[in-house]
Amino acid sequence: MLSALIWLPILGGIAIGYLPFPIARLKLIALSVSGAMALWSLWLVSQFDFTNPLVQFVEFVPWIEILGLNYELGVDGLSLLLLVLNGLLTWIAIYSTVEAIERPRLYYSLILLVSGVVAGAFTTQNLLLFFLFYEVELIPLFLLIAVWGERERSNYAATKFLLYTAFSGVLILAAFLGIVWFGGASSFSYDALLSQSLPLGLQFVLLGLLMVGFGIKIPLVPLHTWLPDTYVAASTPVAILLGGVLAKLGAYGVLRFGLGLFPAAWAAVAPYLATWATVSVLYGAFVAIAQKDIKRMVAYSSIGHMGYILLGGAALTALSLVGAVAQMVAHGLILAILFHLVGVIEAKVGTRELDVLNGLMNPVRGLPMVAALLVLSGMASAGIPGLVGFISEFLVFQGSYRVFPVQTLLCVLGSGLTTVYFAILLNRTCFGKLDNAIAYFPKVEWRERVPALTLAIVILFLGIQPTWLVRWSESTTAAMVAAVPSEPVNAFVQEGVFPQLSLNWADGDRPSDLATQSTRL
Amino acid sequence: MVTDTTRDRAIALPPSTHEFRDIVHRLEAGGSMLPDNPENLKQIIGIYKAYAVPMDFYWRNLLYIAERVFLNPLPAFKYFLPKDYLELHNHYAGDDADLRVWRGDASAHPELLEFVRQGELQRKVPKLLHHLWHDRINMEFAESCMRAMLWHRHMYEPANKFDRYLDSEEYRANADLAIRAYFQGNPLMLGLYKLFPDMFLEQVRQLSYYSNLGLFWEVMAPVFFEMSDLYDEGKLASVPEAMQFLVDGIFAVAARPIYHHVYIRGDRYEIIPKSKGFMWLYEAALPYVEAIFYRTSPFRGTKSYNAQANQVPAEQKDFHYGILYADVFPIGTAGIPPTLLMQDMMHFLPQYLLDDYRKHCRGEDDILSQIGVTFQRSMYNVTSAVIQALRAALLYPLDDPNPRHLQANREFFEAQLDRFIRPEARLRNVQVQDYR
Repeated sequence: MLSALIWLPILGGIAIGYLPFPIARLKLIALSVSGAMALWSLWLVSQFDFTNPLVQFVEFVPWIEILGLNYELGVDGLSLLLLVLNGLLTWIAIYSTVEAIERPRLYYSLILLVSGVVAGAFTTQNLLLFFLFYEVELIPLFLLIAVWGERERSNYAATKFLLYTAFSGVLILAAFLGIVWFGGASSFSYDALLSQSLPLGLQFVLLGLLMVGFGIKIPLVPLHTWLPDTYVAASTPVAILLGGVLAKLGAYGVLRFGLGLFPAAWAAVAPYLATWATVSVLYGAFVAIAQKDIKRMVAYSSIGHMGYILLGGAALTALSLVGAVAQMVAHGLILAILFHLVGVIEAKVGTRELDVLNGLMNPVRGLPMVAALLVLSGMASAGIPGLVGFISEFLVFQGSYRVFPVQTLLCVLGSGLTTVYFAILLNRTCFGKLDNAIAYFPKVEWRERVPALTLAIVILFLGIQPTWLVRWSESTTAAMVAAVPSEPVNAFVQEGVFPQLSLNWADGDRPSDLATQSTRL
Repeated sequence: MVTDTTRDRAIALPPSTHEFRDIVHRLEAGGSMLPDNPENLKQIIGIYKAYAVPMDFYWRNLLYIAERVFLNPLPAFKYFLPKDYLELHNHYAGDDADLRVWRGDASAHPELLEFVRQGELQRKVPKLLHHLWHDRINMEFAESCMRAMLWHRHMYEPANKFDRYLDSEEYRANADLAIRAYFQGNPLMLGLYKLFPDMFLEQVRQLSYYSNLGLFWEVMAPVFFEMSDLYDEGKLASVPEAMQFLVDGIFAVAARPIYHHVYIRGDRYEIIPKSKGFMWLYEAALPYVEAIFYRTSPFRGTKSYNAQANQVPAEQKDFHYGILYADVFPIGTAGIPPTLLMQDMMHFLPQYLLDDYRKHCRGEDDILSQIGVTFQRSMYNVTSAVIQALRAALLYPLDDPNPRHLQANREFFEAQLDRFIRPEARLRNVQVQDYR
C-alpha cells in the first residue's frame, strides 16, 4: 500500500518524461498523479489505527542482504500526516505552476520524482534506504532550483543548496554506518537498531553527526545560510515543495533517528538542544524583521518556526512531541500558502519589495482576496488562535514549559516577534494606498486562488478542530517518550552536569512519567 | 472652429511661464483643461449621460425632501419618491419648458423609471425590498453634496447673497411660519421648538440647501442629456465644443430663480420666495463648483481628522478634496464617498463606454475605478466651462485686440490653474490617456 505512494509518482514522472504525451496535457497528467497520491494518502489515514503506536502498513522485500539494505516500509504517527502533506503540497505545487513553463516534460517529471522519493524517505524503515531516498531527492531539486528559478541567482543558490545538502547526506551516512558497525547489527533495519544499546559516549558522537546533518536540512542556525538564497531563488512551486515538505525531512530525521535511536543521549543533551532551538527561533525572527523582500521574510520565518519542532522534541514530554509533529504539519501548510501568495503577488505586481508594494487590499484595483488570505496566513504563522499555527505552538510551549521554562519563554518571545514581522509585512503590502502610477495589475483569476483557498480551509479547519491534527501521532509519540530511559539522565543530573534538569525533574516529573500522565490531550 | 482663430491670437502675447503653460495657452485659445481628442470626447459625453440619469433622480428627490418631507423627525421613507415627483416637469425639457435645453420628455428619464421599477435585480419587487436590498439610487451622495455646500457657506460672498439671507430676520420669520404649520397639532415638537428654536431653524437652512442643490441639478440633467443626444447625432465633435455648449448653457439659465417652497397640507409656504431674485449662477452654480469640485470634506478613508496630525487644513478655503483632487483608485473601498456616485453611474452607462471599459484594465472588475477616472476627466471639462464662463462674465473676450485685456485674461487663467499646482490635483493625470 505504501509502495503506491512512492512508485505512483516516480512511474508517473518517468512516463511524463518518456511517453509521447502532448505538451498541453502534461500538467493535467501530473495533477492527476499527484491528486491520486494525495487521495491515496488520505485513504491510508482513514485506515490508520491511531491507538497503535507501532509501525503500520508494513512492507518487507529482501534486497541487498549483504549490505543490510532491504526494502522495508511502514508508517506510524510520526510520518503519517507528512505523507498527506507531501501529496497535498505536490498537487498544489503542480497546480500553481505557470501554464507556459519551459521544458514542461522535464519539469513535471522532476517534481513527481521528488515527491515519490520524499514519500519513500518518510515511509522507509531501513536506514540505508532512507539515506538512498535522502540523496536521490537532491538531484531533481538541484535541477528544479537551477533551471526554473530566478535567472540571476538560481545557479548560485542551487549550487549552495547542493553542497550543503550533500554534506548533510555525508554526515548522516557516517552516523548510520557508525550505528550499525559499532552496534554490530546485521542490517540497517530500524526495528533491529532500536533494541541495541551503545555506550553513551559513542551515542553522543553519533547523535552529534545526525544533528548537524539534519540540522542543515531543517535548518538550524548557523547551518541555515543556504535557505534564504534557495527559497528566494526558487520558483514558487519549488519553494512550496522545498519549504513545505523537504524541510520536514530534516525535522522528521531528527525525531525519528536522533531521538528514536539515541533516547538516552538525546535526553542528556536535551537542554542544549532546547537552547539551540531557542537561538534558531529568535534568530529567524530578528533577521526576518530586517528583510525588505517579502519572500526572504517568509524564508526566515521558516527558520524560526522550525525551531519550535526541535524545542518540542528536546522537551521530551508526550505533549511537546505531539506539538512538534503538529508543528511540522502546520508549518508545511502555512509556509506553502505564504509562498504561494507571495508568488501570486510577484506575478501580478511584478515586485517583492516592501518599499514598493502597497494597498493590495484595495477591492477594485488591488488583489483583495490574495491580501485577505495573506493576512490569514500571516496570522496563522504568528500563532493566532483559531488557526493551526496556534495549536502546534501552544502544544509545544505547554509541553516544554515545565522542562525548559527559560527556553520556552524565549520561544514565546520569538512567537511574538513573528507577529512583529508579519505585521510589518501585512502593513506594507496589504494596507496603505495604491501607487496610481503603477497600480494597473492584472486581475487574479479564480483558478489562481484555488491553492491558497484550499490551504486556508485546511489551516482554519485544523485550527478549530485540532484533534484531526494531533490524534494520529499521540500514541506513537507517547511510546517514543516512554522509551527514553530515565537512569542515565539521572546519573548526569546527580553529577551536576545539567543543573537545570535537576531543577525541573526533581519531583518525579521525568519524561516517562509525563508520558503516562498525559497520553490524552 | 474655436481653435483655429486663437492660434493667431496666441502670438499677441509672449508665451506663458506658468507650470501649466500648455493648458494656459489652450484656455486662451478657447479650449478646455482636458486635451481635445475623440477618446476624451467619447469618455466625457458618455459619463455625462451616465451621470445625468441618477442626477435626474437626485434633483427630484432633493426637491421632494425640501418641499414635502421637510422637518419630519423620522424621515424613514424620504428616498421613496412619489409618482408626482417622478412626473414633475423639468423646467428645461419637454414642450412646456421655460427654456428647452433638452428635446426629450420633461418627466423622469425612461432609463431612470426602468431602474426605479426593476433595479439591478431586473425584477419587479416592492420598492421597500429594492431599498432594503440596496438596489437603488444612492441618494446619500446627493445629500452629502448638499451638506458640503452647507458647510462651506459664505465662500462666494459678496456675489452670493443666499447665505446671508439664511441668517436674516426675514428668513427666520418665514421659517417660523412653516415650522409652526408643519407641527400643528403636535405639542411635543411644538414644545421642543419653543425650547430650542435654533435646532429647527438650522434644519430648515439645510432644507433650503436641499432645494438649492435640487434646483441646480434640475438644470444640469437636461444639459447633459442634450449633450449626449447631440454627440449621438454627430453634432458635438470636439472637447472645446462640448465645453462651449456648457458655457452657453450656463449663460442661458444663469438667471433662473433659486427658491425654497414648502407644501404643508396643500398650502404653500415660501421660505425663500422667488421674488428675492436669487439667481442660479451666483447662488447655486458657483458655490456648487467651489464646494463640490474643489473643496468637499476630507475622505474618512484617506485623511486623518486627528487635530494633532494636522492633515486636514484649519481653513475651509484650503480644503482640496473635491473631484478635481480626489484619488479615484481606492473607489470601492471603505471611507471613499464617491463610490456611491460611481455605483449609481454604473447602472446607466452608454454601450460605447461599457465596451471601452471592458477593453481596458480589468474590464468589468474595476469598472468603478475606470468610471471614477472618466468622471474626473469630464469634471475637468465642466470646470473649464465654468472658468471660461467666469472669464466671459468678468473679463474680456478671447479675441480682444487689446493686449492688456488679453494679459488680464491670462492672469485670470493662471490664477485659476494655480489651484491645481498642489500634488493632489489630477490635472496632470488627465492630460495623458494612460490614466484610466
